[in-house]
Amino acid sequence: MSNTYIPVNMRVETIAVEDKEKALRTFDLVFVDEADGKRFTYMPGQFCEFSLLGKGESPFGIASSPTETDFLRFTVNRTGSVTNEIHYLREGDTVGIRGPLGNWYPVEKFKGGNVVIIGGGFAFTTLRSLIVYMLEHRQDYGDLTVIYGARNPDLFLYKDELAQWQKRDDLTLHLTIDKPVEGWTGMTGFVPAVVRELAPSTENAWVVVCGPPIMIKFTLPVLAELRFPDARVYTSLERRMKCGIGKCGRCNIGSKYICIDGPVFSMEELGEIPETP
Amino acid sequence: MVRLEKGKFDDFIRSLAEDYIVYAAVTTGGKSSFKVVASAGEIDEGRLLTDRSPKEIFFPHSEVLFEYDEDGIRETEKAGKPIAVWGLRGCDVKSLAMLDKVFGTARQMPDNEMFEDPYWKRKYDNSLIFGLACNEPRSSCFCNWLGGGPHSEDASDIFVIDAGDVFLMQPVSDKGKAFIGKMTDAAGASAQDEKRAAGASVAKASGADEKKAAELASGARAMMAEPPDLDGLDERLKGIFHEDIWEEMSAKCVNCGACAFVCSTCHCFDVQDEGKGGKGKRIRIWDSCMFPIFTREASGHNPRPLSRDRFKQRVMHKYSYFVDNYGESLCTGCGRCVIVCPVGVDIREVIKRVLSFEGKGAR
Repeated sequence: MSNTYIPVNMRVETIAVEDKEKALRTFDLVFVDEADGKRFTYMPGQFCEFSLLGKGESPFGIASSPTETDFLRFTVNRTGSVTNEIHYLREGDTVGIRGPLGNWYPVEKFKGGNVVIIGGGFAFTTLRSLIVYMLEHRQDYGDLTVIYGARNPDLFLYKDELAQWQKRDDLTLHLTIDKPVEGWTGMTGFVPAVVRELAPSTENAWVVVCGPPIMIKFTLPVLAELRFPDARVYTSLERRMKCGIGKCGRCNIGSKYICIDGPVFSMEELGEIPETP
Repeated sequence: MVRLEKGKFDDFIRSLAEDYIVYAAVTTGGKSSFKVVASAGEIDEGRLLTDRSPKEIFFPHSEVLFEYDEDGIRETEKAGKPIAVWGLRGCDVKSLAMLDKVFGTARQMPDNEMFEDPYWKRKYDNSLIFGLACNEPRSSCFCNWLGGGPHSEDASDIFVIDAGDVFLMQPVSDKGKAFIGKMTDAAGASAQDEKRAAGASVAKASGADEKKAAELASGARAMMAEPPDLDGLDERLKGIFHEDIWEEMSAKCVNCGACAFVCSTCHCFDVQDEGKGGKGKRIRIWDSCMFPIFTREASGHNPRPLSRDRFKQRVMHKYSYFVDNYGESLCTGCGRCVIVCPVGVDIREVIKRVLSFEGKGAR
């Protein structure tokens, strides 16, 4: 019998430091056993339990896209005991991964539509996966608009990639920071205000919004104002998790478990749940 | 139905223990729980409800998921005899069947065994469950609120009625029928097979036995008060989610988690690593939604910061969320939480309060 509590071994191939304070690091992992890699198929929006023996596990959204077959990417913000230990990893170290877990962004449904992606802070990980995936299948989608906010220019993830996306004519990227900073040429202001200002068209459009709870809380009313129907607005939720397979009872909102019913939900689905997401 | 004379009960348990790891109610230091036994003398036969719930037979308080060292990960589970449980009350039998829905199946990913729990399945799938009728339910029992009853055979493999000087056994599942079949065959073969000789004590139940069983069942049912109608409780709970009534209902609760620990269906757990250096084990350990740290995130954010929020979560999970996901309440009315609560929270009173609430949100 397969045992989903047993992590598979992955090697840390490269580590990239994302910010000056070194609180955000991106780890590209490769499977130690190729057979594990063949079995591991995923979609944008799914997550894994990242395991360090003796230290524990933490769930992270997968930041790579399934179209990037050479590595699995996670970006980790140093906040708790496990993430602190993850930051001590060096290239060549072995880690454990369980997954892929959870559902994914409905990329099939999005086909033929315009997609507006709204992200904030270091929650941009699975949004990167989604964007890379859609750019690889560019002909399947209409206009792609990305609105990405961070506290300051240093706190954007994947800065080199963002610079490349800026140059593309098949993707519109709006970067915004909270307060003006010298030399910043992008937008200024919190994500909800920027969304209101840009007022993306609702026509044949789908929205994906993912970021810190406070950003989501204030962005959703703006999307409602702009008349995006709840069924066309998706978000990805986070909760403390352990098992990742709907057994340990920790990550529910209402009768839904983030780990198996989510993490991706439409606002329509969330509207039926009495507990606040 | 077959009959086993109590004089032969010890032979029966000893014989059972040759093929199974036998669990039964054992009382030590005044506290009872299900433990491994080798003979009938160890069993606290008259015990109506064990202090600790039998979920720990299949889902222990602390369970090693695997061990690890420099060479990697090692699973520790060894193949052994299947488990037989003697004397589970109807509520507890049902609890295990409910836990099997959580651990044994994959609600969102049917047919994907990656979403089944191997630790549970290894033990539960081959088990043989002897349900035991309650002839005298106690005042804290409310199985009949939740579709159960003192003589409910549901989910037992073999249903046993204590009829004085004899145990009457009714095979219920295919597994149970096969087991009783083997016993009666052995009885026919008499002493030829010494190992099976214990089975010789089993005989077909008489008409008088059947009559006695029916009398005991109706007598036990009559001892229980008429239950309230819980139809629509799940939706009603959702309707009053944001009402102040929760403040009132949870006022006494100190979030000690005792209810969850003795509960036969509470299944929340934590996963922790225990070890030193590169060597140790990953374990899972019972946890409870009553504790603030249960949902507190590394950032400090806690989606259920108040005692009231956590009290509500436990009630909602049992009588509303589980109904959404599995079609029944996650409660069998065993009453352990009623008995053990240090501040006298009675879940039956909570349910009644919800049913009688007429404020906003109530339908």
